Amino acid sequence: MRTPLSLAAGLALLAAPVLAAEGTRVQVTGEIIDTWCYFSGVMGGQDAVVGSAHHTCALWCSAGGIPVGLLGDDGTVYMVLKIEGDGNNASGDTQLNLASHVIEADGMLYQRDGLNYLVVEKIVTDRDIVVENHLDYGTVPPFAIPQGER
Amino acid sequence: MRCVPLLIAALFAVSPALAQDFSAGSEAKSWNLFAEQPALFEARVVDILCEIAGDCPANCGDGNRQLGLVRAVDGVLVFPNKNAQAAFSGATAELQPFCGMDVEVDGLMLEDPEIGARNVYLVQKIRKVGATEWTAANQWTKVWAEKHPEAAGEGPWFRRDPRVKAEIAEEGYFGLGAGREAEIKAEVFP
Repeated sequence: MRTPLSLAAGLALLAAPVLAAEGTRVQVTGEIIDTWCYFSGVMGGQDAVVGSAHHTCALWCSAGGIPVGLLGDDGTVYMVLKIEGDGNNASGDTQLNLASHVIEADGMLYQRDGLNYLVVEKIVTDRDIVVENHLDYGTVPPFAIPQGER
Repeated sequence: MRCVPLLIAALFAVSPALAQDFSAGSEAKSWNLFAEQPALFEARVVDILCEIAGDCPANCGDGNRQLGLVRAVDGVLVFPNKNAQAAFSGATAELQPFCGMDVEVDGLMLEDPEIGARNVYLVQKIRKVGATEWTAANQWTKVWAEKHPEAAGEGPWFRRDPRVKAEIAEEGYFGLGAGREAEIKAEVFP
């Protein structure tokens, strides 16, 4: 005998692949961010974990395999799964080289279970680092630059 | 006909409830994060790009792909962003040995819809379903050291990583170009 719980779980499992299979072409402009620092607040508020202040940390996290995201101009976060054919989305070279850059991306958007996923097919423009917030926040984290190199 | 709306209502009414609390039995350690909740659950380890867009290399991408957890109870795709180390490290190295397997994981779930965080996870330990021994999700630095024997030395990995060092040498710690670095440092560290 089926319980209401198993019925609902079954429906959810049936529904998920349908959602996963459908992508929508989008153009998004925003900054390539480190999603863990942004979502967790471990390094401070959202304004502090973007741009020049947080750039070194963004490099560390990207190299360390933390997922990168694209923070759209409207505040929407897109989890970036692939960039111009490079699917190495855990510590890959392409995403590392784009850390903190503002890009205009053309690609496919997928949505599942509350997260936005983006396959970037083309970087239309790469504006390099645009957000200069180091005078507001210094370096995030404070130890980003070794004492002897300041 | 009347069954269809009832089924849809059941789906939307019950699924969020399932997603709210997986703390029973969890031994996850707090990181004192704003939106954290302990979460222990069973799931299948998947390559997220494969799961989402059908781009599916062998062996979940051999450690180069973000890996997800399709939760057994409700089919929700959980995204582990972080392992258990306080070392700027993700979760792929921890989950890769379990590619395609049904596992039990313990860790912290982040739910902060205001900033887009849904089903984001910090994994602290993993074991195959039915196994008794847990594997701690703290293997990343060991995997990194095996990949980069040329970077052996003192200090944390992120000070020695060749690609990070090359980026900083070229663009500076603030990423605005080596030419502006001295000027910016003078402003930030007067």
